[in-house]
Amino acid sequence: MRLALVTLLFLPALAYGQPKPEDEDKVSNDNPARPLQMPPASTEVKEAIDDFERFSRRKAWERSLKAIYTIPDDQALRFVDGDNGFIIPVARKRRLLLTALPPEGQAAYRLFYDAEARKLLDEADGPAELKNLERIYSAYFTTAVGDNAADRLGDLYYELGRFDRAADCWLAILREHPDTDLSAGSLSVKAALALFRAGRRAEFEQIKAELADRYNDEKVTLGGQTASPKEALSRLMSDEKWGTDSVEPSASPSAFASPRLAETVDPAWQTRFAESVEAGMTPVELTQWESNALSAVVPAATVEGKTLFVNYLGHVFAVDLPSGKMLWRSASFHNLELLAQQNMARGLDATRFAIVAAGEHVWVLARDLKDQNMFASFQLICRRADNGEIVWKSTDLTDYATFDLVGLPLLADGKLFIAGKSQMNPQQQQGLPRQFVLAIQPHDGKVLWKTEVGTFRQGQQYYYYYMPDTSPQPRLVYRAGAIYLDTHVGVLARLDTESGQFDWGYGYKTAPFQTGYRFYYYMPQEPQAVGGPPLQTGEAFLVKGTQSERLYAVEPNKMKVLWDRPITKASRLLGVDDNAVYLGGDELSALDLKTRKLLWATRVPNGSMDGRVLVRPDGLWQLTSRGIYEIDPKSGDVRRIFRGKDLGSVGGDLLLTDGWLLAVSNRTISAYPRRAPGNAVTARDDSRFTKEQTRHE
Amino acid sequence: MSKPAIAALCLLLLIGGADRPARAQFFDQMGGAASHPSNIEGFTVAGKGFVTAKPDLVEIDLDVIASSELTADAIVKYRDAKRRIRDAFAALKLGNVTVDERGLLVDQKGQMQSPYFFDYQPNSRTKTEVQLTRKLIVKAADIRKMDEEGVLQLVGRLLDVAQDAGGKVGAGNNMNPYYYYRWGGNTTTGLARFVVEDFDKVQEEAYEKAIADARARAERLARLSKVELGPIVAVRELVVPGDKGTNTDDEPARKRLETAKFQEIPVRVELLVRFEVHPRSAVKGRNP
Repeated sequence: MRLALVTLLFLPALAYGQPKPEDEDKVSNDNPARPLQMPPASTEVKEAIDDFERFSRRKAWERSLKAIYTIPDDQALRFVDGDNGFIIPVARKRRLLLTALPPEGQAAYRLFYDAEARKLLDEADGPAELKNLERIYSAYFTTAVGDNAADRLGDLYYELGRFDRAADCWLAILREHPDTDLSAGSLSVKAALALFRAGRRAEFEQIKAELADRYNDEKVTLGGQTASPKEALSRLMSDEKWGTDSVEPSASPSAFASPRLAETVDPAWQTRFAESVEAGMTPVELTQWESNALSAVVPAATVEGKTLFVNYLGHVFAVDLPSGKMLWRSASFHNLELLAQQNMARGLDATRFAIVAAGEHVWVLARDLKDQNMFASFQLICRRADNGEIVWKSTDLTDYATFDLVGLPLLADGKLFIAGKSQMNPQQQQGLPRQFVLAIQPHDGKVLWKTEVGTFRQGQQYYYYYMPDTSPQPRLVYRAGAIYLDTHVGVLARLDTESGQFDWGYGYKTAPFQTGYRFYYYMPQEPQAVGGPPLQTGEAFLVKGTQSERLYAVEPNKMKVLWDRPITKASRLLGVDDNAVYLGGDELSALDLKTRKLLWATRVPNGSMDGRVLVRPDGLWQLTSRGIYEIDPKSGDVRRIFRGKDLGSVGGDLLLTDGWLLAVSNRTISAYPRRAPGNAVTARDDSRFTKEQTRHE
Repeated sequence: MSKPAIAALCLLLLIGGADRPARAQFFDQMGGAASHPSNIEGFTVAGKGFVTAKPDLVEIDLDVIASSELTADAIVKYRDAKRRIRDAFAALKLGNVTVDERGLLVDQKGQMQSPYFFDYQPNSRTKTEVQLTRKLIVKAADIRKMDEEGVLQLVGRLLDVAQDAGGKVGAGNNMNPYYYYRWGGNTTTGLARFVVEDFDKVQEEAYEKAIADARARAERLARLSKVELGPIVAVRELVVPGDKGTNTDDEPARKRLETAKFQEIPVRVELLVRFEVHPRSAVKGRNP
């Protein structure tokens, strides 16, 4: 009896002991198990927010508002947990809290802070205008003048071409300032225009639909003409059309043509750089070289105009695309194996070598193989596209002194963006490395801004002989005045391209990356797919972290997660169309975007953990060790295997240009003639250029 | 019991048990010693028979592996992978090629041995990734009548089709050579396996040769020992061809011969044969 009573007494305790499902799923910036922490707000800030919420519940408005305004300005741009996994700046959190106050709280708030806001608004003139308006929008938006300040700020942003932010200002008034005296019709038209220019189609259509049956009795004066909001928008949008990223078939007849590899096609030319490395090797040296992981490295390549630029372990060269002729190279490939045999070089993550090109310049991310320092950072080098001459390099500029640049640079909005990790010097007792994003003036390397995205909770890895660095590389993508950084360690960050302001981060679930500590060299590690950039589908981004077991569809403008689903950890994003997202990993696979069901999976030799796969509406193409595979995107069936002239390689990247399908492997670069429909040019006919040009340096 | 009585008992036991080890040898194992007293006299010789047989079947092992966080995804991956391999071989339209399946293993991905303890450690992964694995065996029959070039073409074609269809060819791809080296598990088994099945006739021949060999040896001994060779009284099989044991539960024990090389497969029989011997009556009495 006594035992039964005790059991009954403790039964509820067992129930209380269970973690709540929502807690289990919650992603917090303060969770010490997460590999990256965004710049956290201080404990005082979190206490102030707690105090605000507690006093607000008791309707002690004076004390609650006092609590929220104890937050110092320098903490306004630090980060706290927001809703739905988003991690937001304190300023945004404060605005959300104040906006959510009940009417009596709002009245008290205005009583206390209207005067301060008015003063700032009155002083918003000249050089202080933008700063003051931003301050009001951030700290005093719910005051009586907050809407006016937001409206003016929207105008300013619009004039500066920052349409995304302008739209946010006007939308904030419409949605969060219901008692505004400003014309809702006018605000809607302005918001619609800004949304259109920012490329936010779904929100634009929503506003447009609202304008169709609302505010008909209002008159709006825009561009010197007065009309109803609906008419005003129609007039202003009469010549506007949605831009498209894809090229119209008429503009480039071959843009939509498949590589069409049905018949055997010899490459028009081939650059056999591996043979240059191996030239003159004795059998023993050749065996050593082939057993070196660096011999399997597929060089980074990019096409600009009629030139192919290649970064092969820091050896940069340019190839004339029509003829296959090498235009220049930064160094001889010969004796590369001697550098590669060094233990420090064998620990390199060769996927970090990157290259981008635009106009007259090429930017290369590389590390000197001769450098005996295993912590040596990668450097960014700008070269002239026509002759390879160095224009500037990061090692000559003090701004880059503390950074190890990592990830493919991104050219957008007239700037060069790149992620970097601050280096930790254990001998100087420096802290954990931090993740940064840098915006660079492309032609001279001047750092325009650098923004800290977070601090790694996992410290610097130490490498022993032959152990490559496996830490994931961040990837950048540009959209409508903002760059998005997938850190691949649990945070998707949005930054303003103009100012570098870190708007928010979305914390997705991830496991820490695999450590470099290993018992012995061949200790097997889990296979890890190369991290891809976020993929845009409609208004949303698809995000899959390297060590994450979930795929997320994040709508960045509305800061919403549309859906997420479990997925194999060792998988990566390859491409997306209207119906499906294509994934790489142990196999190629397709996931239905509507039902989120796996449609098909196809194994190709050695899987699809890395390498650039061509994803097009009419097919998927992947260069494997057994040739180029063409996959039907609907069924996943292998339509054909084109053996080509790349056998003996480990596979690699495929690049499509107007004239060629370029297969870049660890041994060769092969240019297969690409034929547009109806233009039956055979390889033989097209071989007016030197065939299979071999480069022996 | 008095001391002399104990001593007498010990003596009796000693005498009675002295030949037990001898009895335990050979004949007891043949099962004949229990019924009547054994004749441990005679000649015991080894007879070896050796004939060769050409393989008639070639087999290639493939693994179909699919894993995913969601079991439904793993099933789609597994089903697609298996279907594509089967379709690829069916497209060959070769009547003598079949694809057999072994059992389906439903496992957890990521389980690995700890290098520190050389033992399985609990998986530190918080979530289970389901892994489905099935071994497929591609068989091409009737290769005996083919010449080497023909077999080479066929095997090459099968290997190409298997790999092109995404199959994982060859066992032990996941094996860690550094871990297994000390146990000698690093032997080369080849991508294809050549098999002789139903080799009764060849085996019969090998047995005949082994017995004949044994008789020849025994006769030589008898001649040299000046005794007369009697009938065979016991035979023990030392090497018997084709009894392929199995330590897995996915295939039954079969009688077959296997080799990684395309060559005549040796069928060896080794027998231990004991002949009865009798003194030669003709020479009796001449002995000193």
